[in-house]
Amino acid sequence: MIASAIKRGTAEVAVLSVFEYGALHGYEIARRIERQTKGSLRFTLAAFYPLLYRLEKQKWIRGAWETSPTGRRRRDRLTPAGKKKLTPLRSEWSELFAALHRLAGVANA
Amino acid sequence: MHDWQKLVRQKLEGIALQHDDAAQVVEELAAHLEEDYQYSLAAGAPEQLAIRHALQHVTDWHDLKSKIESSRKKELPMNKRVSQFWFPAFLTILLSMTFLMVIQEIGPKPWTSSAGGPAWGALRAPGFRVRMMPVAMVYLSWLLTLPFIGALGAYLATRAGGRPAAVFSSVAFPVFPYLAFFIIGLPIAAILDDHVAHNIMLPAFFIGFGAWVLLPAIALLAGGLPVHYFSGRKVST
Repeated sequence: MIASAIKRGTAEVAVLSVFEYGALHGYEIARRIERQTKGSLRFTLAAFYPLLYRLEKQKWIRGAWETSPTGRRRRDRLTPAGKKKLTPLRSEWSELFAALHRLAGVANA
Repeated sequence: MHDWQKLVRQKLEGIALQHDDAAQVVEELAAHLEEDYQYSLAAGAPEQLAIRHALQHVTDWHDLKSKIESSRKKELPMNKRVSQFWFPAFLTILLSMTFLMVIQEIGPKPWTSSAGGPAWGALRAPGFRVRMMPVAMVYLSWLLTLPFIGALGAYLATRAGGRPAAVFSSVAFPVFPYLAFFIIGLPIAAILDDHVAHNIMLPAFFIGFGAWVLLPAIALLAGGLPVHYFSGRKVST
């Protein structure tokens, strides 16, 4: 499992990245991240929803309520501002991981 | 089918958000738990295990509530501390000091301990300098106002979503200066000032501590505790 301090930093890029699949509701986002990281990134509600609300406050995602036979649910989608933010965020993280690989030989560990 | 909305609403009682905002948060979190629960059931888990699995997503409800409040509210974390602790604390101390000053100015007179007859007050023995014996002055009318002040402090701190520690500290804030005097000022005076008669320090400490720290703290908390308990129970969603 990844330490929580590192997770906090990566959570933003992880959540924004999964929106590339389209509009998703909270549980789908969390499940998708968990599945795609093979369980390494797993959120508690206390970590996940405040992050989602902050992203919405920053206008990087936008939510809309929809009604289904099982009840009302809110689906969030990436805004143009969020899309713009995601590209440099990804390259920053890629750079950081590449630097760590070079520094600590993480890739060969 | 498990009633997740009811559970989440109970756990987030008193969340410091607008009514509609709080209702949406409850709905969204309940939907998350419901989906996880349904997912476990579909995977063949028995109901109790599915419920337990869903609840593993929340390790600390208070933490969840507090983080949601900060992320949804349009205010800085510093302002949150102000509304949860500093504002109620300064209001309680301001009100209690104002009432004390008014009562000292216009009455009624405080209750003064006179038990022990001439032993209480100034003693002049031949060959000895004047020794003041401890006299307790208890402003009963002031003490009667403190539960209301404590209730107001608790209401404001609870409404702002303060944790119990912040609520009780802001309620008891008016006695902190006296507490500091009795645990820091008086011992220092006893050590540094030779005019303070050391033989009366212990009774003075207990009498003063009771009259100016213990009784006011009890009176403040008598008003603050029920308000915190009942306003915390109020369903705000």
